[in-house]
Amino acid sequence: MSFAMTSAPAKFVFGKPENPRRTVWFLLGPCIAYLIVFSIYPLFHSLRLSFTDLTAAGGTGNWIGLKNYADLLVDPLFWNAARNSAIMVTLAVALQVVLGVALAMFFNLHLRGSWIVRGILLLPMLIPPIVVGVMWRALLNPDWGLVDWIISRFGLTPPDWLGSVDMAIVTLVLVDSWQWTPFVFIIVFARLQALPQDVFEAANVDGAGSWVTFRRITLPMLMPAIVFASVFRAVDAFRSFDLIYGLSYGGPARGTTTLSFFAFQNGFQFQNYGYAAAVAYSMLIILAGGTTVILRYVHIRGPGQ
Amino acid sequence: MKFKPGRAVAYLALILIGLLGIAPFVYLAVLSTKKRIEITAQVPPALTFNWTQIAKNYTEVLFGQGMLSFTINSLIVVGAATAIAIVIGTPAAYAFSRLRFKNSGSLASTILSMRFMPPIAVAIPLFLMVKTAGLSDTYFGLILPYVAFSLPLVVWIMIGFFDEVPREIDEAAMIDGGTHFVILWRIMLPIVRPGLLTAALFGALFIWNEFLVALYVINSRGLQTISLGAATLVSAQRPIDWNIAAAVGVVTVIPILIFSLFVQRYIVRGLTAGAVK
Repeated sequence: MSFAMTSAPAKFVFGKPENPRRTVWFLLGPCIAYLIVFSIYPLFHSLRLSFTDLTAAGGTGNWIGLKNYADLLVDPLFWNAARNSAIMVTLAVALQVVLGVALAMFFNLHLRGSWIVRGILLLPMLIPPIVVGVMWRALLNPDWGLVDWIISRFGLTPPDWLGSVDMAIVTLVLVDSWQWTPFVFIIVFARLQALPQDVFEAANVDGAGSWVTFRRITLPMLMPAIVFASVFRAVDAFRSFDLIYGLSYGGPARGTTTLSFFAFQNGFQFQNYGYAAAVAYSMLIILAGGTTVILRYVHIRGPGQ
Repeated sequence: MKFKPGRAVAYLALILIGLLGIAPFVYLAVLSTKKRIEITAQVPPALTFNWTQIAKNYTEVLFGQGMLSFTINSLIVVGAATAIAIVIGTPAAYAFSRLRFKNSGSLASTILSMRFMPPIAVAIPLFLMVKTAGLSDTYFGLILPYVAFSLPLVVWIMIGFFDEVPREIDEAAMIDGGTHFVILWRIMLPIVRPGLLTAALFGALFIWNEFLVALYVINSRGLQTISLGAATLVSAQRPIDWNIAAAVGVVTVIPILIFSLFVQRYIVRGLTAGAVK
């Protein structure tokens, strides 16, 4: 890698010129070297592992070429996990975007005291996902949980939140949304506050109703922020496994085993390092697509613009 | 002022949203004060508090289950890792913000993309590296990988803060003959001090919640971090004592609540790091 300096000419300190290339290296070198050793190298090591049958039992594992990947493609558990990941990410992002935008519009009314509630909404994002999982496992307990008690007060039958295979993934989406809808809200709200007001005044003068104004003016202008928040959320939901660890441990009947939880189970519980690495790499391939999209948006526009 | 029904509904909604956000925490805190049998017997839990029971639960969690020493372990590991990440990451962020060099854009993007890396993709190799270095089951064995986890976040938060400092300030210093090192140390660092705080606290939060690498690296109970300890105590894998689990949750959350008081103004910036142009 070579660095071509185009900034200010060399300066003199203690009679010595500051070498611009060396300056860059001094400032940047430690960070890059560190990441190469502790992030890039492990990533490549992981790729190598995915071509071996290494287990926790030890040794260096045998080179088995693409066998792990071939096994993955016919492993129903892998496809089950892929399906769960797809469902979870899609539903979570969709729900969080709808609710996040709704919240942003609602807080745009600037009710007195709403800043307190905005502050409260920041808290869930700071809590370790595993604690969020445990907390909701208590709230949703079928025998004594508060949520079921409230629902039955209204004479309704609460769903079997974490007990049924089909419901559990919905519950996972709902809990993830409790924690992360505020993230979408905050990004969209920041953008909303920064929008020029004259457009809305013009729309008002032209007699546009509030729904038309929202649909035709507000929403398109919020789009960059919405896209940005969705991509962040999609990636984080895709790679999250600690919420599942606390909430459902992948169950019941693997109903909430997503790809990242599947990789975790293979790597830690079953100690199949090679296979786990192959799962992780298939996740990275999916993520690479996502990251490309992210970088495109991060470069063109931030959410507050 | 005239009473408007629409206004009343809006305020009702506001209160409900606030409740939805805070009630789960309150519920967890209430559960943590109960006897085990009270949790299943009283639905919803009564808001009467028995101080001896509270003391008993928390003594059990802090000392019996070791959450106090887990917290201290976490403070040591996270503190050291964050300090190293700040020392390494801040100059890098300065370089990205102020110097022009080839590939600076793609290099910065590569560093950002590491924030999105699934931990499972690197956990096993990191564990094998730590083991080879003879560092498994030590603080250092966790600190080394954790620096790498918080570095991308630190770099991105700091780039944002450096970018906000008007260029006239360092250009003036340049004309006076300052080098980049002098400018960074004498002029920029004092200006971006809130940024350093934000980067440190969010870098710390990122690894405070981490437990996958810790699962691999740490074997002895005495060296567990707070999230690893919490994970083993409250895993959905097996039945648990709910009063104890709730107290574990409260103990895990309290340091974070204290932390959030310090960075109230910057929480949004920290959460959306990377959201720079």
